[in-house]
Formats: sequence, structure tokens, C-alpha cells
Amino acid sequence: MHAAASHLPIASSGSFLITPNVGIMIWTLVVFAISLFILRKSVFPRIGAALDARQHTIEETIDAAERARKEADQLLADYRERLQEARQQAEEILARAQKTAQAYEHRARDEAESKHQEALEKTRRDIEAETRRAIAEIRREVADLTVAATEKLMRKTLSEEDQRRLVQEALDELDFDALSVAGEGH
Amino acid sequence: MPGGSAAAPKKGMSNGKKILYSVLGVWIGGIVVFVILFGITAHKAPSVASGVFSPTDEFRLDTWFKVGPIDFNKGVLYLLMAVGITLGVMTYVSKRLQQRPTGRLQVAVEWFYDLTRGMATENMDDTMARKYFPLIATLFVFILVSNLIGYIPLPIDSAEKFTLFGAHIPSFQIFATDTNVAFPLILALCVFTLTTYEGVKHHGPIGYLKSLMPGGVTGPIVPLIFGIEILSNFLRLVSLTVRLWANLLAGHLLIAFMGGELGVLVGQPVVSWFLLPIGVAIFLFEAVLIAALQAFIFAILTAIYLGSAVSSH
Repeated sequence: MHAAASHLPIASSGSFLITPNVGIMIWTLVVFAISLFILRKSVFPRIGAALDARQHTIEETIDAAERARKEADQLLADYRERLQEARQQAEEILARAQKTAQAYEHRARDEAESKHQEALEKTRRDIEAETRRAIAEIRREVADLTVAATEKLMRKTLSEEDQRRLVQEALDELDFDALSVAGEGH
Repeated sequence: MPGGSAAAPKKGMSNGKKILYSVLGVWIGGIVVFVILFGITAHKAPSVASGVFSPTDEFRLDTWFKVGPIDFNKGVLYLLMAVGITLGVMTYVSKRLQQRPTGRLQVAVEWFYDLTRGMATENMDDTMARKYFPLIATLFVFILVSNLIGYIPLPIDSAEKFTLFGAHIPSFQIFATDTNVAFPLILALCVFTLTTYEGVKHHGPIGYLKSLMPGGVTGPIVPLIFGIEILSNFLRLVSLTVRLWANLLAGHLLIAFMGGELGVLVGQPVVSWFLLPIGVAIFLFEAVLIAALQAFIFAILTAIYLGSAVSSH
């Protein structure tokens, strides 16, 4: 039987192909158990821990990014608000300055006007005073001249008292009001 | 090479097309060369003709040495490599985890951790998920590493040797412990035992048996359905085992056959050459997709079975 089977190459060796080798079974069990033990004790926990740590890091990073984004949004909102305020304030300041400038201009104009008026008034008063003085001078001159002329005409020297009386009478008759009015009109 | 003419690049061809046509040309040219050199009559090697050589020897576990009652063979070597690489890589990465991922390895390990934790939390309640997440994750990574190192050719063939600079070196082979049914069977047995334990703990012994029954079944059909449910419960163990084992064994057999063994068996070198592209394609398919997919399926089925054990139908 065995000799006959040996001429058929595949059939002759069939038994060991399909028969479990008990030695290999025990070896496999031992070797697999060692692998399982070591992988379970030291390798898988380490890989698991590393993956968990990474996941933790990723979650934290996402949270931090979220926080940073919120902060940035808040900052931007604050900044915009402040910018708005600043713009409003600037506009207010500008408006106030314009108002102040206008007021100042008005006051300056009024002051200049009043000074001008004062100057005119003063000038007028000066002129009046000058006129009055000039009139008085003229009166005196005219009186002296009249005295002199009268002396020559009358060849007689009147007493000083008489002269003055006469001149005064003559002067009173003269109309100086017209002159005075003309002086004022100047 | 005669195939060189077929590879003459036309103007304006993209680099990818040039490479494709070159490879195609070399392949077709190779077929022609093999037919010219060896003809189409079979040249069976003496060991093949006499039946000494068997393509399944790749999966035979010859004892290399013994320490007391403990046997060492290449299956044991692959188990030790698997546990070494698994623990080495996982410990290395777990000690160098950065807040900002610094390398692809860290991203891959974190992705694996999230994936297996998802398997646990989506199929179980919080307590169960915390308790069994390490088991599910370890099953995934341990099976994945075991599958992947199964696609690296290593000098482990104790039957065949070759001589390099005077040194006798074992022939290179691709082997995986998963190709021996013992490996998936013991893992599936662990899952089955834990599932039953959790079910009995949660429902009580009678309650657990009742919980296997689908709701709304009454009358004389109950014993039949009960029998089917008990059977299907045990078939979970079988399917969990066979799915991983058969996928890996079939994958390795296909790679071996397409990668040249079929040509050796029929004594036609041209057959080996002809099938080589298919062998490469299957190798890539197995190494890239099946290795990870089977580890994933084993892990997620474990989560589903454990989850369903403590929930009522």
C-alpha cells in the first residue's frame, strides 16, 4: 500500500498535510500567549495612551482656537466701538471749535467797531475843543484888533475899562454862532 | 534573445508600455528558446520519475533537533520569527510614538490599533471590548506577521541543499506556519473556548444553549433547529480554522506550482517558463492581499463571535 502510494507524489504525503502537528499546536499556544501577554501589558496601553494624549491635545487646541477667536471678535467689537466714540468726539470737538471761532470772530468784530466808534467820538470831541479854543482866540484877537483900530479912529485913548466895555458890546453884537456851527460841521 | 525584436520600442511609447512590451517579448522569446533547447518531449528528473520528489515536501515538518521532549522544526522557527518580529516592531514603535507622527511605521501601527479597537467596540459592549481588545489585536498582528514572513524565501529546506563557494546551504523555500493546520486550529480553539466561556458566564449553561436558538421557533421543529444550531456553532471552529489554513496552503501550493514546480513534475522546462508570470501574479496577490485579508477576517470574526455569545438572538 505504502509502496504503491509512493508512486503518486501528492497522495503519498497527504497525511502530514491535513494532520495537525501537536508540537506546533503547543508551540503556537505558548508563543501566542507570550505575544498577547507582552502586547497587553506594555505595548497596547502605551499606544492607547499616546493616541488619547493626542486626542486630548487636539481637543485642547480646538478649544484654545475657539477661545482665541472669541477674544479676537470681542477685541474687534471693542475697537470698533471705541473708534465710533472717537469719531463722535472728534466731530464734537470740531463743532465746538467752529462755534468758538465764530464767537471769537463776532466779539473781535464788535470790539473793533466799538473802538472805531470811540476813536471817532474822541476825534469829534477834540475837534470841538479845538474849535472852541480857536473861537476864543479869535475873539481875543478881534478884541485887540478892534481896540487898536478904534484908538486910531478916535485918537483918543479910552480907559481900559471903557475899551473893554465897548469891545464887549461890539462882540456881543457880532454873530459867532454861525462860525461855531461851521466848526462843528467839520 | 530572439524576443528582442518584439521589444523594439516604437517612437512615442510611454515608459510603462516599453517595459510591458519588453517583458512580454522576453517571455515569448524564452518559450521559443526552451522549445528549441529541450524540444517538447518530457525530461523527467530521476527523483520525480521514481516518486522520491514530492511537491508537498515543502510543508513537511522534519525535526531538526530535540531538547528533551521539545521538537524544533521549521514551523517552530517561523513561530519564533513571527513572535520576534511582532514584539520587536510593536515595542519599538510604541516606545517612539510622537505627538506628530514621524514615520509611516507609526501611522501604520496607529491605524492598526484604531482598526482593531473598532472591531472590538463595534461588536461588543464596553466591558467586553476592553477585555478582549488585546486578544483581537494580537490575533490580527500575529497572524499578519506569520502570513507575511511566509512569502520571504529563506534557506530552510532540510531535504535539499546547494553548494555555494564550498558551503552546503539549505535550499531556499517559502513556508508559513499557517500552512500547517495546527496553527489556525489552536487559535480557533482558543476563540471557541472563550466564546463558549463568555456565553455560559453571561446566560448560564442552560441559558447559553437556549441563546443559540433563533427566536420564534416553536413546535416539533425545535429539536431539528437546535441540532443545526449546535452544529453551526461547532462549524464556526472548523470554518475559522480551515479558512486561514486552506487559503495559506493553497496560496503556497499555487505559487510553488506556477513558479516552476509543475514544469519539474511534467519534465518540461518550457512549462515552468510559460507559467512563471502567473506564479509572480499569484505571489503578489497572496502577499499583498490574502495575507492581510485573512488576518483581518480571523480577527473580526473573533470579535463577532465573542460579541454574539453574550447577546441574545
